[in-house]
Amino acid sequence: MSSPQLLQDVSSARLTWLRFKRHRLALASGIFLVVIYLTAGFCEFFAVYEPNSRNPRAIYAPPQQVHFIDPVEGFQLRPFVYGYHLTINPDTWVREYTEDHSQKFPLQFFAPGEAYQFWNLFGASRHFVTVPDTGYLHLFGTDKLGRDIFSRVLYGARISLSLGLLGVALTIVLGVLIGGLAGYLGGMVDNVIQRTIEVLQSIPTLPLWMALSAALPPHWSPLGVYFGIIVILSFIQWTGLARVVRGRFLALREEDFVVAARLLGAGRLRIIFRHLLPSFMSHIITTATLAIPGMILAETALSFLGVGLRAPIVSWGVLLQQAQNFQVIILTPWLLIPGVFVVLVVIAFNLLGDGMRDAADPYGGSNSA
Amino acid sequence: MRQGVRTTTASTSAVVNCCHFTMVALGLLASFGTTAAEIDPASWPAAWHQPMATASELGLTHFQQAPMLAEQVAAGTLPPLQQRLPTDPVVLQPINNIGQYGGTARIFRSDWDKLNNLEGPLTVDPSAAKILPNVIERWEYSDNNQVLTLHIREGLKWSDGSAVTAADFIFYHQHVTLNTELNPITAPQWVGSQITAIDDLSFRYEFPQPFPLLINIMAQIGDYMLAPSAFMQQFHPAFVDRTQLLASIYAQGYVSWMSYFNAILFWTRNSQPLAPTLRPYQMVERTPIAEYYSRNPYYWKVDPEGNQLPYIDKIRAEVIDNADVMAAKASTGQVDFAAFEMKTQDFPLFKLGEKTAGIKVLVWHRIHGSDVIIMPNLTIDDSRLRTLFRDRRFRRALSVAINRDEMNSVIYFGRGTPRQATVIPTSRFYAQEFAQAFAQYDPAQANSWLDEMGLIDVDGDGLRNFADGEALTITLEYIDFETPKNISLELVVSYWRAVGIDLRLKEVDQALQYNRATGNLMQMTAWHADRSTDILFPWQPQWYVPMHIGWEEAHWNSWSIYYLSGGARGEQPPAEIIQLQDWWQELTRSAEPARVTELGRNILRSSAENVWTIGTVGLAPQPVIVSGRLHNVPAQGYWGWDNRWTMAYHPATWYLTQ
Repeated sequence: MSSPQLLQDVSSARLTWLRFKRHRLALASGIFLVVIYLTAGFCEFFAVYEPNSRNPRAIYAPPQQVHFIDPVEGFQLRPFVYGYHLTINPDTWVREYTEDHSQKFPLQFFAPGEAYQFWNLFGASRHFVTVPDTGYLHLFGTDKLGRDIFSRVLYGARISLSLGLLGVALTIVLGVLIGGLAGYLGGMVDNVIQRTIEVLQSIPTLPLWMALSAALPPHWSPLGVYFGIIVILSFIQWTGLARVVRGRFLALREEDFVVAARLLGAGRLRIIFRHLLPSFMSHIITTATLAIPGMILAETALSFLGVGLRAPIVSWGVLLQQAQNFQVIILTPWLLIPGVFVVLVVIAFNLLGDGMRDAADPYGGSNSA
Repeated sequence: MRQGVRTTTASTSAVVNCCHFTMVALGLLASFGTTAAEIDPASWPAAWHQPMATASELGLTHFQQAPMLAEQVAAGTLPPLQQRLPTDPVVLQPINNIGQYGGTARIFRSDWDKLNNLEGPLTVDPSAAKILPNVIERWEYSDNNQVLTLHIREGLKWSDGSAVTAADFIFYHQHVTLNTELNPITAPQWVGSQITAIDDLSFRYEFPQPFPLLINIMAQIGDYMLAPSAFMQQFHPAFVDRTQLLASIYAQGYVSWMSYFNAILFWTRNSQPLAPTLRPYQMVERTPIAEYYSRNPYYWKVDPEGNQLPYIDKIRAEVIDNADVMAAKASTGQVDFAAFEMKTQDFPLFKLGEKTAGIKVLVWHRIHGSDVIIMPNLTIDDSRLRTLFRDRRFRRALSVAINRDEMNSVIYFGRGTPRQATVIPTSRFYAQEFAQAFAQYDPAQANSWLDEMGLIDVDGDGLRNFADGEALTITLEYIDFETPKNISLELVVSYWRAVGIDLRLKEVDQALQYNRATGNLMQMTAWHADRSTDILFPWQPQWYVPMHIGWEEAHWNSWSIYYLSGGARGEQPPAEIIQLQDWWQELTRSAEPARVTELGRNILRSSAENVWTIGTVGLAPQPVIVSGRLHNVPAQGYWGWDNRWTMAYHPATWYLTQ
């Protein structure tokens, strides 16, 4: 079998997939993102505790280590953690936690633990991993009130990650609609839209975001603030996409294949959706994928500065806000763990976007990314 | 020197004894081992508890001055020391040893008056329980307590060399306190008062009613009772031509003579003219980044060897507005003294600085009866909440639902005292049962009281509803100010939620706090229970008696307004509240010590039984950061407004080494 024949036989979708698979980093990133989105979606199940449960026996406690080897019983298949032994050092006033070997809490998978309301739909108590009632499990340590960072990271992921997706969906709708209008209609409409975009883009984004978020009424419910922030973030982001869409429309309008389609009697909508949009799908996908981490970072930045989401909503930005001062770096560095997740997710989205851009253009000449 | 050392040794053993006793008695702090929140008075020199000795009493005849001043005397720009000191200088006992002269102390602006504390007519002892002479040497009340005669120490001089006389008090009273341009509303204590000179150094205040508490005021805010009259008269229209005065003031950009006058008197100008002072340091200059102070060459206190105080030459008070930066600078030894802006939660950071930067972290105790008190508004307009808040069972239930031991360990490292808002143990009015009333953690009891009141969870969301099924939520508005209110209230939210009470927190800004608290609009607010000592409790028992309105309280404003307006506005309180006000009225006028104590206890007992406000943890640890080169700072002290932070611990005796 020679490859030219094959190229004609396979569908463009399959080709896209094959091309994407060659970009191993993108593939790995994709898998990572699927996993973390699933975890966030089912975070009630994956988290050990609810985000506001406190463990007064563990204030500012460091992450617990998972053990397989018991000094007495030797290796055992069921992993376990030790409880904390707390002393407040009289010299340093630091809460010092050491492993208390007399308290051993075996990890239990799919076992009942703290009760929760799944998606506010029904009550349940089964967790992916938990420990018996008498014990506690803090894989990422705890904060000033003894709240479990691991659970809070997962609940925060739900907010931060969904906010990225919703924000980008809104961006795409706005961008394609407004950019399409400008490109297709041209003339006066195009002119007005272009100038508006320029004005919007000329304003420094962070101060504008801050001003808009500060304008959100303080009595809004947490959910209202959440959607408010989404609208605010999309409000700026659509301009870039609109420009690209408009430019593409202008350029492609006069291309031979469009002229050919028109001469063959295709209608306007058919031309737009069958011929124009697919030809710059790769752009939209790339822009969208690359915009998601931008959204996540923006939310994190706003919440970090105290003008975005607010407690009791838990987002990564809200979590990082508690880690704002330098005391954290010296004394309680595990409060920075949410930052690690922000970094990982942003990198993964960028790599994924990279792979998707190449793959979305399967007939592109070069093999390199 | 020898005397100082002996005192220290004695006090160390006493501290140990005290701790043992408290540990056995309470058994609460056992896991933390070393301290209790009560301070042993023997940790300070015995002399601090008594009226300050004078040179003649100690046989001191020879005095020395700082090299900086000796140079000026030699150059002829300053009179010799003997002419500058009063006839019989006051002798201050340093806590550890005789200091050495020199150096510039680096501090933050908010600590300027902690190092350069006021010199009022009277002062307080280190336990904040006793009033001691200072500028005023002795005083007598008339039999009916309506006339107070005072005698100024002889030969005292302001920092410009002019004499301190009765005219300085009379000027302040007649031309500042009672001047309707400077003070449009005369403070209640001064209404109807008169002041008369007897001779150069003696004068008397007269009041239409008995006023035995005037000496408390003279000790606590006595800096608002005298001013260098000869100097300040230059800027007062009663003494100079108003048109000319205004012309020169407007030219300098001030909008009124009052603002100019106050800027000079209270040192809020950037440069001279600035009022002379009796404090250890005179302000020299102010820039956007720092304030500069230099020693007062006429300071009137000396150490036991006859060295004129203060020891330290100059102060540079840096202006920084970021609390994190201040904590970082303090913990790395970049300032010599820091406390006002230092936060309890940063203790581990400061302790780290003890190892790396050679600083000393002293654990003082905030003088607040409760570091955070929660005030349900008993006169709120919402009739359902009002009925609820006025039900004693509800307040008691909220109180016992709070786990104070846990708060103490989570927020205060176990070094505070779980208690209700009441006076501190050094007070004559103190009783242990007041501090511990309904302060035990008992959620079962809380639940049973709430059930008994008919507050049942009807919709199964885990939160109680009003008897008619409406959702019961309470909003607490507060500012996160001075004490750790944020984290305390977050914990309270979770304790109350556990007994089914839905408390919502709302942090507001300062202007909103003022408007909503004084406007009787808040359902609940929180503050810190200062004014819990013998100095201020008898005069301002605002947590326990409705007699005051302000931004810090919102628990019974309508009753306070009714009281303050003589019944013209507000709402008439029930009989038991009027009883409280009557007790307090009598307390402020009674001269009979036993009766005063009884009345104060009546008020506090009512507060303990009725839980008018809900206390949490009191006598909280306050970090006092001292650099490795600053000495003679007491290891323990009470920190707060009642005793003006450091006033009783004599910062003039602190000194720097290189």
